[in-house]
Amino acid sequence: MSTSTHGRKEGKRYNLRGAWWVSVLFAAFALWVAFWLLNWVIQGKCDDRCVIGTLQQTFRLATPIAFAALTGLLCERSGIVNIGIEGQMLMAAMVGYAVNLFGFQYLKTFIGVNAAGDLSRWLAVFAGILSTVILGLLLAVVSIKYKTDQIIGGTVINILSLGITGYLYRQFLAQNLPPGPGTFPIIPIPGLSSIPIIGPILFTQKPLTYIMLILVVFIQYMLFFTPWGLRVRSVGEHPRAADTLGINVFMTRYISVVLGSIVAGLGGVWFTLEAVDVFNPQMTNGLGFIGLAAMIFGKWNPFGALIGALIFGLGTSVTATVSIFRPDIPSQIPQMLPYILTIIVLTGVIGRAFPPAAENQPYEKQ
Amino acid sequence: MSESSNALPGPKISTESILRQLLKAISAPLLAILTAFIIGALVILITSGSLLSVFQAYQGLISGAFFAERGLSESLVATIPYIFLSLAVAVGFKTGLFNIGVEGQFDIGAVVGAFIGQAFRGLPAIIHLPLTLACAALGGAIWAGIPGYLKARTGAHEVITTIMMNYVSFRLTEYLVSGPIKDPNSSAVQTPASAESAWVWSLSSIPQRLQDPLNALGVTIFLAALAYLFARWMIGRTNLKERLKGSSPKRMVTLGFAAIVALFTFFILPPLSKAYWPFNDPYDRLHIGLIFALVASVLVWWLLWKTTLGFELRTVGANPNAARYAGMNITRNVVVAMAISGALAGFAGAIEVLGVSACHCQQVFYVSGYGFDAIAIALLAKNNPFGIVAASFLFGSMRNGADLMELNSGVSKYIISLIQALALLFVSAPAIINSIYRRRGRKNQRKDATLTHQREVKS
Repeated sequence: MSTSTHGRKEGKRYNLRGAWWVSVLFAAFALWVAFWLLNWVIQGKCDDRCVIGTLQQTFRLATPIAFAALTGLLCERSGIVNIGIEGQMLMAAMVGYAVNLFGFQYLKTFIGVNAAGDLSRWLAVFAGILSTVILGLLLAVVSIKYKTDQIIGGTVINILSLGITGYLYRQFLAQNLPPGPGTFPIIPIPGLSSIPIIGPILFTQKPLTYIMLILVVFIQYMLFFTPWGLRVRSVGEHPRAADTLGINVFMTRYISVVLGSIVAGLGGVWFTLEAVDVFNPQMTNGLGFIGLAAMIFGKWNPFGALIGALIFGLGTSVTATVSIFRPDIPSQIPQMLPYILTIIVLTGVIGRAFPPAAENQPYEKQ
Repeated sequence: MSESSNALPGPKISTESILRQLLKAISAPLLAILTAFIIGALVILITSGSLLSVFQAYQGLISGAFFAERGLSESLVATIPYIFLSLAVAVGFKTGLFNIGVEGQFDIGAVVGAFIGQAFRGLPAIIHLPLTLACAALGGAIWAGIPGYLKARTGAHEVITTIMMNYVSFRLTEYLVSGPIKDPNSSAVQTPASAESAWVWSLSSIPQRLQDPLNALGVTIFLAALAYLFARWMIGRTNLKERLKGSSPKRMVTLGFAAIVALFTFFILPPLSKAYWPFNDPYDRLHIGLIFALVASVLVWWLLWKTTLGFELRTVGANPNAARYAGMNITRNVVVAMAISGALAGFAGAIEVLGVSACHCQQVFYVSGYGFDAIAIALLAKNNPFGIVAASFLFGSMRNGADLMELNSGVSKYIISLIQALALLFVSAPAIINSIYRRRGRKNQRKDATLTHQREVKS
């Protein structure tokens, strides 16, 4: 309240802002603590294979969270808050599932079963992306053209896609259906997958996980090392200044939301094309919101967001490992930990996170 | 609206202008809801291919919500938590806080209510029920106060912290219900049944309950307090004040009115209700929570628009910088707003456990879904407490009627979510509706942003 505290916080802001290595150190520490705790809890029963399996699982489970975080990041860097990621992912999961299933039935009459499976899975990915782009455009139009509150727009998308997916699922998908082609197989990357520890963890995954890892690097590069990224960030921080310099604020925001929606589509199809071969309307289970938390954890940076996503993935996979060896421990307690950790992180243990300044403000041309 | 009517001095406002204002305020949401239903009908028509199933669906929806056996009362049962939770969301919105965590606060309230409800045996209801509800409200307030405090002190964004608190509370209640406070004598994973003294009375049990003088005393105190507040408020209004000027002291009138209500409730209501009572169906689940909910909506309106605290809360919500320069304590206001919000949600949770659930206990894996709908309701009603009552009734009856709709017509009940989302969209972006119906939009209309554009509260 007083000027002194204000000044202190300002100082803190300059010290730690953008200090990515703090996040990395923190994550490494968290990883160490997690495995120390794990081994203590299960009394050293987790051998090397088990540790590697847990870490592999961590990357697998972090994939949708990281996709959601990247979506939120792309949208918010341009000044659009997207809390409809949850709904977008649900929609993509449903569309992906349906297209995979019915596309396979159609395609296998023309080409071989294996080729039809591959083709229909990738078709499903694109169909899922298309569905999220449509939802993203709805959010963009409502919040850019009609200048509605963006949180309301996101809430609308969440409820709307719950309604649409649930409705279509009950009408068309909740019945005896012919078997589909199933999920993507694990594709070990030749050469890299035989590296001792990193190989099985990082390079023996399913394709969407690879796409996620590539996208993290790509978006980091695009946002911070290209003119396009500078434009997006300036629109998110100070749209009037950007407009004065001749940047089309509206178009930049539309493009960012569409790009973000493409990423959300990838995150959505993960559920039905990579995780399990079924769809149900509770499937996304709040991972879209957790992705937003991971984004804030990473201070609106792709690498940081990946680390945040990995922490959530680690929490889930460690819980699974613990419940195998020690079924007597109530699983709810370790399940709470990532959420509590996020809250602690948000309160400024590793420095305050500052959202883009023009977030959730409709821009009006003068 | 209430602000403008309050600002005008004297009894200048004619009833006609109030009616026209009301009509203006209601016409836009009604048109939005109507349009949403029309689009819902189109969706059913396209997917099912027959006009008949559209009629069957909507006919089932309406009869399930109002005309089926106990339809209306079940709709009201669903309305009660909606009112509380969307009031909770609205209090947050008015302070510029987006409390997504009402579902978690509801859960915490429910588990606290279930625990206090079964922990004491043999207490009279006049102590036990208020104690249980108060503890649940306190639990919700603390649970919501944590994100509020973190927001005010460290700037941790409340949207994320309340979402995180949601998941923590789901796991916590799951753990508590399946572990420490599980009923050891039951095969189901649930808390022990709460004592009858903690139950929120169903309407059909009121006559029998009132035969106990202690219960009658409790009702008397509750109603007399309401009567007192009502009389004070009426006298505070200009017309009545002028009428009373010089004749009798205000205090005597208010106390006298409260005393008359108290005497009536204590001495006449018990025998009267025994002789004649309109709600006699013992399977009717409608309970006195409805009265609490209506009282709560009036109280929230009074708090937000008629008290200094409410003024501060709204100022912090509208412009935190202005509030700070005016000398308002932002930390305190943010924490208080979240605590009020959480208290309302926790109260609703306890009422749901003690009034609606068949075992009067908390069951594991109970996700109500009320909390997320409540956000939509609050936005739909533009945070007006009385609009919230109406919108809650709409959502409650849709939730209740959806089952019969699915049974009758085979149309999935998820169509309800679609309609609700569209209604919310059309209400929040009136330009869409205006362009559909070519209504002339009022230019330069003050944007009633539910969330302020200055959302970052710096302390």
